[in-house]
Amino acid sequence: MRLLVVEDEADLRSSLLKALREEGYAVDGAADGEDGLYKAECSDYDAIVLDVMLPGIDGWEILRRLRAAKKTPVLMLTARGAVRDRVRGLDSGADDYLVKPFDLAELLARLRALVRRSSSVAQARIEIGDVVVDLVGRTVSRGGVTVSLTAREYSLVEFLALRSGAVISRSMLYEHLFDENDDTLSNLLDVHVSNIRKKLGRDFITTRRGHGYCIEAP
Amino acid sequence: MRLLSSIRWRLQAWHGLILVSVLVGFGVMAWHAARKAQLQRIDAELEQRLMGLFRPELPRRNPPEPHGVPPSGPPGERPGERRGEPRPAPGPPPGGGPRMGPRDPEELRSRLREAAGRAEFVASDAATSFYFVAWDKDGSALARSPNGPTDVPRPGGEGRTSDRDRPGVRPGPPFSFQARSRGEQRELSVDLPEGPRVVVGRSIAEDLAAMRRLAYGFAAAGAGVLALGLVGGWWLATRAIRPVQDISSTALRIAAGDLSQRINTAGTENELGQLADVLNATFARLEASFAQQAQFTQDASHELRTPLAVILSQAQTVLARERPAAEYREALEACLRAAERMRRLTESLLDLARLDSGDEPMQRAPFDLARVARESLELLRPLAGERSVELRAELPATPCRGDSERIGQVVTNLLKNAIDFNRPGGEVRVAVRKTAVEVVLSVADTGGGIRAEDLPHVFERFYRADPSRTGGDSRTGLGLAICKAIVDAHSGSLEVESQPGAGSTFTLRLPCE
Repeated sequence: MRLLVVEDEADLRSSLLKALREEGYAVDGAADGEDGLYKAECSDYDAIVLDVMLPGIDGWEILRRLRAAKKTPVLMLTARGAVRDRVRGLDSGADDYLVKPFDLAELLARLRALVRRSSSVAQARIEIGDVVVDLVGRTVSRGGVTVSLTAREYSLVEFLALRSGAVISRSMLYEHLFDENDDTLSNLLDVHVSNIRKKLGRDFITTRRGHGYCIEAP
Repeated sequence: MRLLSSIRWRLQAWHGLILVSVLVGFGVMAWHAARKAQLQRIDAELEQRLMGLFRPELPRRNPPEPHGVPPSGPPGERPGERRGEPRPAPGPPPGGGPRMGPRDPEELRSRLREAAGRAEFVASDAATSFYFVAWDKDGSALARSPNGPTDVPRPGGEGRTSDRDRPGVRPGPPFSFQARSRGEQRELSVDLPEGPRVVVGRSIAEDLAAMRRLAYGFAAAGAGVLALGLVGGWWLATRAIRPVQDISSTALRIAAGDLSQRINTAGTENELGQLADVLNATFARLEASFAQQAQFTQDASHELRTPLAVILSQAQTVLARERPAAEYREALEACLRAAERMRRLTESLLDLARLDSGDEPMQRAPFDLARVARESLELLRPLAGERSVELRAELPATPCRGDSERIGQVVTNLLKNAIDFNRPGGEVRVAVRKTAVEVVLSVADTGGGIRAEDLPHVFERFYRADPSRTGGDSRTGLGLAICKAIVDAHSGSLEVESQPGAGSTFTLRLPCE
C-alpha cells in the first residue's frame, strides 16, 4: 500500500511518515500544496492524508483539483472541528475527516478502512483457501498457524489479496509497494514472491508471464 | 412585561377617572339646570292660576287694564324665595297719588268660598289639576277646594301679613309669592292685602317622574360615553405602548441569545423610534463584538491544536516500539518545539487578555524613546547578522511619557518583523523624531512588502498575510495585534504603509502631554 501525507508542520509530518512506514506502508511526504498536488496527480496512491491549512494551495483546492481526475481515497486533517467544516470536507469529496489533535491509532484504523473500502473488501479478514490474511493485525496464517512474513512480504500479500482474481502488473506492484525513496532493484520483487511461495504454498501466487502476478479468488 | 401593563393600566385608570368626573359633573349640572327650569315653569303656571282665581276682582283694582298672565320671575332667582313682582296696577303711582285701599274682605272671603264649589275644583283629575286652600288672617280655614289634599299646612310668614294689615302704611308689593315643594306637590302661597292667605298647588308627580327619567337617561348616556372613552383610551394606550413592547420583546429575544434580532423601526419616527435606533446600534455593536470574540476563541483553539497534534503524534509513534536512543531524542525535541510554541501562544493570549481587560494600567513615566529603540536594536543585532540584514538607526534623544517596557515590546516586535520579512542583504531603518504634539518612531524594511488586500488586516488577531510562514515558525499571529493593543492603551497610533516588492514602513506615534 502506498500513501501520500501532505502536511506543512514538519514535526507532525515526520512522525506520521515514521508511524505509517512502521505499519508497512510505502509513504511519500509533501510539505506544501504544490508538491502535494503534483505527487497526488502523478502517482497512484492507495490513500492520501491531506492537511487543510497548507501554504500555497490549500487542502480544499488540492481535493477539488484531484477529484477532477482521480478517485484516490482522501483523509482530511484539520485543526477546525466545527461541524460545518466537517460537512464541507465530506461534501468536497473527502472520504474521511480527522480533527487535530488525533490519536495515531485512530488515524491508522481509518486509513485501513479507507484502503479496504476502495478495494471493495468490507471485512478485516480475507480468506484464500486455507490462508487467512488479517488486515487489522497485519498477520497471515495458514491452516490456523501464523506464518511469519517480513513487512514487505506482508504488504505484497495484502495488496494481491485485496485484489484477488485480478492480474497485477509488476509496475503497479512497484508503484504501490515502494515509496519514492526506495531504490530497490527490480528483481527483489521476484525474491519476495519466491519467499512468500515457500511460506504459503507454491500455488498461492500464480505468475502470468508478461502480465504480472495474481492470487486466485477464493 | 409587568411594567408595561402597569403603565398601560395606570394610563387607563387616570383616563377613566378624569372621564368619570367630567361626565358626573356635567350630568349633575345639566340635570339641576333642567330641574330648575321645570320648577320655574310650574311656578309660573301656578302663579297664573292664582291670578286667574282672583281675576274677577282685578278690574276693581285697575279697571282700564285687565290683568294678564303675570310674567315669571327673572331667571336665576331661586323658586323658593321668589317674590312677586310689583304689579303695574296695585303699585303705588309715582308722585304719591291716591292709593287703592283694601277691598272688602268679606266679599273676598265669600268669593273664595264660592270658588271652592266651582266645577273645576270638584271633579277634576287630581293628578293634573290644581287646588287651592285659603285661610283667614287669624288662621281659621276659609275655603278649601275639594280636589286638593286635606292636610295642606298653613305656610308661615305672619309678620308680613300683619305688616300689610296696617291701613295707610305702604306694605310693599301687594302680592308676595312663596313657592314650596311638599312631597309630590308644588305649592305657591300668597298673602292677600285683605288678610286671607291662599295656597295654590298641584301635583308634580309626573314632572318628578320625568326628571327621574331624565336622570336615568343622563346616567345611561354617561355610561355609554364612559365605556366608549375607556375602549378608545385602551386602544390609544395600546397604540402608544406597542413600540415599547416591540423593543421589550426584541430585547428579550436578544437576551435569550439571538443577537441577530433588531427592533423594527419602520413608521416610528418619534422619541421611541430614536430609542429603538440607539438600541439597534447597541445590539449591532454587541453582535459584532460577540462574533469577534467567537472568531478569536476559534482561532486560538485552532492555533493550539496543531502543536498538540505534533506532541500526540510524535509521542505515540515513538512509544509504539523499542527504539534507539537517538530516535527518542528526536521525538522529544519535536515535542519540546511544539510545547514551546504553545507556551508562546498562551503567553501572547494572556498578554492580549490583560491588555483587553485593562487590568494592567500603563505606566505614565517619562522615558527616552531613542534609548528604548537602541536596546531593542542591540537585542536583535545577532538575528540581523544571521539573516545578513543591515540595521540603520537615527536616534536623537526623544523624551516622552508612557510604559517604557511595553513600548520596548512594541519596538522589538516591529524590528523582529522587519528582519524576519526582509530579503538577505536588505536593511532595516529605525528613526525617531519629535514634533510639537507627538513623538514618532518608524521602522522601515526592504522586504517583499505586504499585498494591498492584506494591508487593512495586518493588525488583526491571527491574521497572517502569508500562511506559508506558519510552519514550524515561532510566529503566533498575535504579535502585531498585541503591539496595536499596547499603542492603543497609550492613546497613540500604529500605522503601516507598504509597497509590494519594495518594503513596508510601520509608524508608531505617541502623543506628548
